[in-house]
Amino acid sequence: MSIFEAIWQAISTILSNKLRSGLTLLSVALGVFAIFIAGSLSDSIDSTVENQLNDLGENVFMIKRMPSGGFGGRNWRKYRSRPRINLKELDLLKREVKSTKLISGFASDGGNVVQSIYTESPSDVTISGIDENYFMNYSRSIAEGRPISAGDLASNNQVAVIGPDVIKRVFPFSNPIGEKIRIQSQEFEIIGILEEKGAVLGNSQDNMVLLPLNLYIKYYSNRWESIDISVNALSQDKLQNTLGETIGAMRLIRNLSPVEDINFEIETNEALTEQFSGLRQTITIFGLLVGIFTLIAAGIGITNIMLITVKERTREIGVRKALGAKSRWVLYQFIIETITICQIGGLIGVLVAITLGKIFASQVDFTFVISGFWIIFAVIVTTLLGIVSGYYPSWKASKLNPIDALRYE
Amino acid sequence: MSNSVIDIKSIKKVYKMGQEEVHALREVSLNIQQNEYVALMGPSGSGKSTLMNILGCLDTPSSGNYFFRGKDVSKLKDNKLAEIRNREIGFVFQTFNLLARSSSLKNVELPLVYSGLKKKERDEKAKNKLTEVGLGDRLDHKPNELSGGQRQRVAIARALVTNPSIILADEPTGNLDSKTGVEIMKLFNDLWKNGNTIILVTHEEEIAQHAKRIIRLKDGLIETDEINSNPIIYN
Repeated sequence: MSIFEAIWQAISTILSNKLRSGLTLLSVALGVFAIFIAGSLSDSIDSTVENQLNDLGENVFMIKRMPSGGFGGRNWRKYRSRPRINLKELDLLKREVKSTKLISGFASDGGNVVQSIYTESPSDVTISGIDENYFMNYSRSIAEGRPISAGDLASNNQVAVIGPDVIKRVFPFSNPIGEKIRIQSQEFEIIGILEEKGAVLGNSQDNMVLLPLNLYIKYYSNRWESIDISVNALSQDKLQNTLGETIGAMRLIRNLSPVEDINFEIETNEALTEQFSGLRQTITIFGLLVGIFTLIAAGIGITNIMLITVKERTREIGVRKALGAKSRWVLYQFIIETITICQIGGLIGVLVAITLGKIFASQVDFTFVISGFWIIFAVIVTTLLGIVSGYYPSWKASKLNPIDALRYE
Repeated sequence: MSNSVIDIKSIKKVYKMGQEEVHALREVSLNIQQNEYVALMGPSGSGKSTLMNILGCLDTPSSGNYFFRGKDVSKLKDNKLAEIRNREIGFVFQTFNLLARSSSLKNVELPLVYSGLKKKERDEKAKNKLTEVGLGDRLDHKPNELSGGQRQRVAIARALVTNPSIILADEPTGNLDSKTGVEIMKLFNDLWKNGNTIILVTHEEEIAQHAKRIIRLKDGLIETDEINSNPIIYN
């Protein structure tokens, strides 16, 4: 009795009862889908966080209005009532903090159209307002031309540094330095081109236009815009000191009394990692629980269907036994059939999860990681499900008396 | 006694039906030699089916001994009985009992699958047997694409494919029209001529007349056991 024969038998059983097997497959698929999504999401969050941490040097910390996790749950009300960080606060902070001068403000907006005299880009370009310290704090460099300087900000120069992806789209033929681009109603002179950074986990770092922060705020931000400030402490030794000084300075700027909580978020790499690991855990546990309960329900359904199948095929079992099938062959046959049904359901679940994950990831700035681990995990789980839920019906089949089974109508 | 295939010594079979004991076989002794053609007859309740099940190693007697080719099989466990059935007994059923979703070839291969033969050998043997019963051109047909007579031929090929010691046919023409039934009986006749041992279980006198020896059962006992002096023989 070959495994292939049993698998083939399983497939024809499935095909001969499309509705019944469809429902079973669906329940297995759902369970595997939930587990697979949970597992992959948790992996994806890991690599997204890693990506963000790599963006910023390890000595850099952020001051933000809200935490990056953004899914603050019960703290949402608290975060919402916080004041936005504005240009004036950024300037004051730059003046107050003495231990480092590498303080940079950053604000950005995705989905913009950039026009040149030749053509225009699709509406997917990120425009960011930055200052002279951006390049240092975010470790970006200029391939050609010059970066945006403090002077550009001071004299309100309408200048821009653009990423290589944007150039490919709107300046296909000529060197863009010195040319003009238009974003909505404003024109900017291109003074520099960013060094290519490539797509980090599917998220292009080169499809962007950098503008002086003050002009960005003036032209493109709405009144809800809050600036993210990055502070580069230059070395790990100085990190704690600079952190303390910065928090103190922000308290002063915002007139917070010593007993008041800070009304801004300080994010060190460590804190960021922690935040995401909390979120990650929640998603993983929730997904696994949903998956497990769905699979338990699916398992009961499968047991039921296999009991019906065994009953329907009593005659066949009788014939097989009369022709010399030992009990354990019959047992194996039905267990392999059950496993096959589960595997097919699992396969559907994984494929749907990958497809939806990819679609989701392409819609938001997020990378969906497909790991071999979760695929193997799905295979193991469905195999176990098949064995557990198929055992009783298969055992019943194997114990059938051939005489009675042959007589069964 | 060296040519004795089946040697049954005073077997009894008792069933418990609730409080009552049913004596399906009271005391039966029987010897069947190599290349005999035996018909087993009897009305329902005679113990005919019970005897057939024991002869086919589908069941074991309550007491007494059953020697199959000299080996006592009356006290074997299920799995051992399955081995004997697989190697030594070719079953032909009234309702053919083919696997509906499998081709003729796959159906005939089935006993060989259980005896652990490699695919290539299985294919070859199954093809040969199907050709022998005249279905060499129907290898890939499913049972529902075959006539009743052809289905029974597939079943006979399946019974023969392991070269069993006996062929046990239970009302093999019961589901066939009389013309097809005659064809099948001719086939059994040929098998007998080729040296096979055939046990035919039937309640039809006409079918039984094909056998060379007729055993009649009544109330769990052998009533008569006679040589058929004038059997139907096809040439």
